[in-house]
Amino acid sequence: MASLELRDLSKRYGDTVALDRLGFTVDAGQVFGFVGPNGAGKTTTMRIVMGVLHPDSGEVLWSGKRVDAELRRRFGYMPEERGLYPKMAVGEQLTFFAELHGLSAADARSSSDEWTERLGISDRRDDKVEELSLGNQQRVQLAAALVHEPELLVLDEPFSGLDPVGVDVLSEVLLGVARERRVPVIFSSHQLELVERLCDAVAIIRDGRLVATGLVDELRRRRAGRRWTVELENGDGSWSPGIAGIERVGDCLYELSGETDPQALLDAARGAGAVRRFGPAVPTLADLFRDVVGRDAGDGATRG
Amino acid sequence: MDSRRAVYLTGRREVLERLRSRAFVISTLIQLAIVIAIVVISAITGADETSKYKVAYSGAEAKAVVESAQRQAEAFDAEVTPSEVAGETGARTAVDDEDVDAAVVDRTLIVRTDPSETLTSLLQAAQRQVATTARLRSEGLSDPQISTAINPPPLTVDEVGEAAGGGIAFIGSLLLYIAILTFGVVVATAVVTEKSTRVVEVILSAIRPVQLLAGKILGIGLLGIGQVTLIAGVGVGVALAIGEIDLPASTAEAVVLVIVYFLLGYLMYAAAFAVSGAIVSRQEDVQSSSAPLSILLVAGYLVSISTIDKPDSALAVFSTFFPPLAPMVVPGRAAQDALPLWELLLSIALMVAATLLLLWMAARIYDRVVLRMGAPLKLRQAFRYVRRAPEG
Repeated sequence: MASLELRDLSKRYGDTVALDRLGFTVDAGQVFGFVGPNGAGKTTTMRIVMGVLHPDSGEVLWSGKRVDAELRRRFGYMPEERGLYPKMAVGEQLTFFAELHGLSAADARSSSDEWTERLGISDRRDDKVEELSLGNQQRVQLAAALVHEPELLVLDEPFSGLDPVGVDVLSEVLLGVARERRVPVIFSSHQLELVERLCDAVAIIRDGRLVATGLVDELRRRRAGRRWTVELENGDGSWSPGIAGIERVGDCLYELSGETDPQALLDAARGAGAVRRFGPAVPTLADLFRDVVGRDAGDGATRG
Repeated sequence: MDSRRAVYLTGRREVLERLRSRAFVISTLIQLAIVIAIVVISAITGADETSKYKVAYSGAEAKAVVESAQRQAEAFDAEVTPSEVAGETGARTAVDDEDVDAAVVDRTLIVRTDPSETLTSLLQAAQRQVATTARLRSEGLSDPQISTAINPPPLTVDEVGEAAGGGIAFIGSLLLYIAILTFGVVVATAVVTEKSTRVVEVILSAIRPVQLLAGKILGIGLLGIGQVTLIAGVGVGVALAIGEIDLPASTAEAVVLVIVYFLLGYLMYAAAFAVSGAIVSRQEDVQSSSAPLSILLVAGYLVSISTIDKPDSALAVFSTFFPPLAPMVVPGRAAQDALPLWELLLSIALMVAATLLLLWMAARIYDRVVLRMGAPLKLRQAFRYVRRAPEG
């Protein structure tokens, strides 16, 4: 089964530590989200996977085998800084990329045709890239990562700059590639709701270090239990029980310290009025993210 | 996929992109026009050297003088066409009406004010010869004796100064200077365009930097060879078609040398220009980062011009063995037959060595700096990367 493993990757730029013994695994057919605040080392990691950067230590394994130039040619990549030849026609450019990745001229041409068709830019095949709208350029960029039918897809911020329709198209393509062809898709994003919706698994990094990784559902469930939701009939979300060990952390949301019995919260709530709803709050990925990287780091989510 | 295919694909892309660019086609046409203009102009100015004169005569003695002038005209780089007029009045009218340049009647030479010195001395010499011949004949000498007496073997002419083939040398070094500079800059621009559009990261996720560099230098070089051959070929072809220029016997060799030195000079400079493109991130920084290379090329061109009159000077010989200047200087010296074979072979050997060294260094530097974004490096700083381990 084709899987990608990053093992103990370290990289420093002068005195700055970009990656510090970072490691995680992406399994076949997984859509894998790679999240972390700005400057956490996501782009550095992806560049190392693609061989555009060399790590100071550590290694990247593909199905247990150390990745070399020959293996990498079968990976698809969309860098954070989009890059296409502005004066080259769309179809010709995609054919060129496909050939560079080892396809024969004929296969490259038919694959170029197929992907422009699938991404809805077939009528722009003969146009120069610079004549396209930014949204369509983004589609060409995605096609460039897919045109050689890669065995692994590495996308750095693929959703940034896309309109809602573009987001849907891209989501569909990524899920399709992962589900139908069992291709692991790893992508970075600051749009955590999107990551939660699309991804089977995630890795959260901060300051070049892994802080959490695993299946999204598992991570969320593991964090559940400390937070509880209490909804009163009177709809008062700002009610506070005033008991040691229970802290109100949001609208109708209460966090219990380690020893506190959830029943104490329920009793206090009953005292305040009729209870409409009481139960464990499963955190969203965004909650998780803020928990593990710190609330201050969540601001990075607004950056494109 | 093997390296050759990666180099072929990236090289082909460069060739196609330039061939389709209007700028490239137009600049090729302009250069063709310039070369044709140079050839035609030098043909016209060259033709001026043979002056054509029409000279009228009246009377048997005058006829003998003019016909003698006609025979001697070639030595004066002139051509004399005789015509007969009726008497002195007819001669004066013909001169005055500018039907002829001069007229000889009896012992008088009729010309307009401020006559051509060549023509007057030619006619005076002819008159002297006719008179001397007549006098010697009356003394009883035979015609062969007279001929020996008045036509002594001429002095051998040894031209000092501009040697034969100077024109070809001039065009050759101009062409090389323009071609190496043009295609060197094209390489630098192509490298930085891939950086500034960030497409280089996409490419380098598929192939190795050295393959991309090789494809670029070879592809653009192929275009360069094509353009130089086209321009040199058309230039020589036009010269032959006009037929006014005496091409030196060494023209064919000169054209071959121009192509050989373009190849070597281009490869060497292209390697350096590629580095000058790789050390900056923005298009507008290329000019300053490649300035030292342009200066070297200009220096080579200036040396070639200043040594056209003296292809054996110390400067010319030094430049022959100094690879950065040699491409502009050597074909010129060769066209003037001023280049011993051993000097040529040594020069080519040094060029090959320098070119290989620079290509090797450029590949190493390119590999280490091509993905580096931000403030430009100095060319000197860049060369320190030769010794560094890859960092990416």
